[in-house]
Amino acid sequence: MNIKKIAIGVAIVAIAGGGFVALNQAANNDSGSSSKTVSFWYGGDGDTDIKPIIKDFTKQTGIKVKIQSVPWSQYNDKLLTAAASKSGPDLMVMGTTSVPNFVSSNSLMDISDVIKKDKNLQSNKFFKGNVETTKVNGKYYGVPWYTETRVLYYRKDLLQKVGYNEPPKNWDELYDAANKLSQRSGKDTYGFSIDQSEPTFGFMMARQNGATLLNKNGQTEFNQTAMVETMSYLQKFVKNGVSPKEDLKLSIGESFGNKGLLPMFVSGPWMVKSIEQDSGLKDSQWGVAQLPAGKYNNMSNTGGGDLAVFKYTSHKTEAIKLMKFLSKRENQIKYYKNSNSLPARTDAWNDKSLQNTKVQVIRKQLNSSQPMPLIKQWDQIGQNYVKAWEKISVENADPQKTMNTFNDQTNKSLDTSK
Amino acid sequence: MKNNLMKKLMPYTFIFPALLLLILFSIIPIIISLVISFTNLDITGLGNWGAVKFIGLSNFINLFHDSLFLQAVGNTLFYVVIGVPAVIALSLAIAIMINFGQNRFFKLMRLVFYTPSITNTVAVAVVWTFMYNPSTGLINNILNQIGLGSVGWLTDQNVAKIALIILAVWKAIGLNMLIFLAALQGIPKDFYEAAELDGASWWQQTIHITIPSLKFSIFFVSVTTLIGWFQFFDEPFVMTKGGPLGSTNSVALFVYQNGFQQSNFGYAASASFVMFAAIILATLIQFKLQNKQQNG
Amino acid sequence: MSNSLLKSQQNSRFIVSVILAVFGFIMILPFLWMFLSSFKTNAEIVQNTRSFFPKQWTLENYRNLFHSGFTLYLRNTLIITFFSFVGMLFNAMAGYGFAKFKFKGRGVLFIMVLATMMIPGQVTMIPVYLILNQMHLTNTLTGIILPGLVGAFSIFLFRQFISNISDSILEAARLDGASEWYMFWHIILPISKPVLAVQGILTFIGGWNAFLWPLILANDEKYYTLSVGLQLLQGQHTTDYGIQMAGSSFMVIPIIIIFVIFQKYILQGFNIQGDK
Repeated sequence: MNIKKIAIGVAIVAIAGGGFVALNQAANNDSGSSSKTVSFWYGGDGDTDIKPIIKDFTKQTGIKVKIQSVPWSQYNDKLLTAAASKSGPDLMVMGTTSVPNFVSSNSLMDISDVIKKDKNLQSNKFFKGNVETTKVNGKYYGVPWYTETRVLYYRKDLLQKVGYNEPPKNWDELYDAANKLSQRSGKDTYGFSIDQSEPTFGFMMARQNGATLLNKNGQTEFNQTAMVETMSYLQKFVKNGVSPKEDLKLSIGESFGNKGLLPMFVSGPWMVKSIEQDSGLKDSQWGVAQLPAGKYNNMSNTGGGDLAVFKYTSHKTEAIKLMKFLSKRENQIKYYKNSNSLPARTDAWNDKSLQNTKVQVIRKQLNSSQPMPLIKQWDQIGQNYVKAWEKISVENADPQKTMNTFNDQTNKSLDTSK
Repeated sequence: MKNNLMKKLMPYTFIFPALLLLILFSIIPIIISLVISFTNLDITGLGNWGAVKFIGLSNFINLFHDSLFLQAVGNTLFYVVIGVPAVIALSLAIAIMINFGQNRFFKLMRLVFYTPSITNTVAVAVVWTFMYNPSTGLINNILNQIGLGSVGWLTDQNVAKIALIILAVWKAIGLNMLIFLAALQGIPKDFYEAAELDGASWWQQTIHITIPSLKFSIFFVSVTTLIGWFQFFDEPFVMTKGGPLGSTNSVALFVYQNGFQQSNFGYAASASFVMFAAIILATLIQFKLQNKQQNG
Repeated sequence: MSNSLLKSQQNSRFIVSVILAVFGFIMILPFLWMFLSSFKTNAEIVQNTRSFFPKQWTLENYRNLFHSGFTLYLRNTLIITFFSFVGMLFNAMAGYGFAKFKFKGRGVLFIMVLATMMIPGQVTMIPVYLILNQMHLTNTLTGIILPGLVGAFSIFLFRQFISNISDSILEAARLDGASEWYMFWHIILPISKPVLAVQGILTFIGGWNAFLWPLILANDEKYYTLSVGLQLLQGQHTTDYGIQMAGSSFMVIPIIIIFVIFQKYILQGFNIQGDK
């Protein structure tokens, strides 16, 4: 190896290094001087979906927006560093389930008075379930932006073969249809998919059976009849081979498409596009329906994203302006057209672009949809639920006993973290 | 005098840049995490340091009453005990085999055996999930062909750990093979020539010349592999999420679940320091053994 | 060499080749799947993960890959890769320091170096971020480069190989009046070619795939790297396998080129330890 070359290389590196330091400083000064720039954190690929709307905003207000798209898989990490360092964006998208976490870390600004003053941001404009996700202890920390809820996906053609011309309407029908579907001939055919790693599914079902997840004292009631009955109901699916015991790790084309090994499942609106594009099914072969009702209702689980202002922002006025702009009806519709994310504003749904029958099923389900309880420990409770459910499904454990243990464990951890 | 001082400081000038960076971006953060492990830091405390309380050894005491943690510890020990020797033996064997020839085929094999290290994790997961699939998978099909029964590779609690070890060994061979290949070049050719004159077989040469000459690199591979396997994470994270029933959960995954999914940073930090203590103990034993070997 | 010996060697080479070929096939299978799937549509991958070859070859995934930020991301990636080679030099120096000098605190310092490998990165991520924030290095390239510049694994590997070099060569040079730096450049590094080649490959891969720090430290997309850009193409709930495989296949090409170039040097050993 030529030593002179290396030495020259090192010298270049040193000079370049110095250059970069200078470059960095220049960049920092640059961002400090332009006071009318709002920074906006956004999950996913911001450039394509939101840029056109942001351009309009800048044109109208003269306020520049620096969009930073962050990959979804790392979005939470990014928010944690912002919480810890108290430096972050001005406006950001928050997953509905993260709101209580980042309220408790003091990262979100209380914007109750802003909402009170602006008709366009008030609760009656949005789906009730989504408004709930922005509210912690009676104060508002965000504005709903896009919404998601769970619906039933089913194979029309296969259900017809077992005598169901309509999708199942209640729990009894759901089990009966799934049971018949699972008795088709063929290897690995099932009737209904219960996602083993999904922490909210069981809670959602329990609500349909009349369970209140958290009582007024902030304690859980997983050991009460409504929840335990639900677990027994779900256990029946696994025990009788109607649902698989484990995650089959099949792609949507194999599980739902083709022979339809799993011809019914519950999931969010994102699956519509996924099935349309990737499953290889004809439109007539599958459908979307509202969830089958339990004893009390067919309450689904609300999710989606909210817009929130970072507590330590130095551009509060501009951030709120942008938030208001994005919440306008026409911009909600525009955003839906670009990204397929469903508008959280109810009046946006009159638009032509949302008149597709499948989308309208989701619209109806949104009237009966509620988020998970908004406490910061809910993630952990959900993880523990997954483990309890695994015992019930895989090991065929007694639902009452398992739920007793799970409930005690949860209430103990809720007490200690108070 | 001055010269003497220079001489004394010389070694430090070589290690200084690296050491400074390590202290700033590894040692200090580790010390901070150690402090955190004695607190109740969670998402609330992260934004408001005033709410963070020192709770002494509570986290550590709770850990040893947490059946999930104890299960993860047991699983991790299993991974280490089976995985580490397997990685060393297989990558050494493959390095020796690849060193057998110099023609194009052997050159290509170097790259081929390295590809698992540079393959996208999702692609790895998709292909291995297919191979492990209980009813339609490649491996079970082969087993059935030769008259053996099917195995629930990722679904049977006892087998799942082994399945993940196979996958991790498969992935680890490439890098260690390269290290052994590099080390093999340092063995003087005249060693082998002398042995050949004495009529030693290839096998004898391998046992009596090759492996003893590789002790520096074998030591390196065993220390780093041990450290790596104590922190076994990727495979259960991607393939099983720790299931079925926690049977493949590892301590590192436990730390991730508590720290990042549930934001119990204090508790997660304390779990990682329990692991840290185990790793450093194991490493020190390895160093002691090596010194003994060299002196004895 | 006698004829029979030659023959037996040829035979065993054949057996070894067969074993390697069989194992090699298992090793490369996922890699091939990744590469071939990058030419399938996502629908084809999702409907039939089992089929190996694309039914209909498409370049659509690659077309989607090169969107607006690409050249910027490439530039950042190249800068980070370049600096990681500076870090490799620091690692080599430290490896030499630990291998060939006896000094106070050597044992303790070396264990300390190794200890940095023993705590998972997720645990120290927030503290590292806070330190960089204190140093006003967030949202700078310097901040992105610094945390990954040196690494215990690499220092340890250099130490092992350098300590294998015979002391008598160094003593002879020292008697000739060579300085320690001269010896590092002119003796240690040239002799260490095989391990430098291994480290070079690892360093390149590390820099080229830089993901976490560019993402965590940047408050601006202008510091994003190719890996971050690739991850941005994934949705919140669903995976686009086609584009992911195309991205990974694209990212792996430079790695293979570097590997092919550097691996030649792995086999250029010097016989230098003959006096043990």
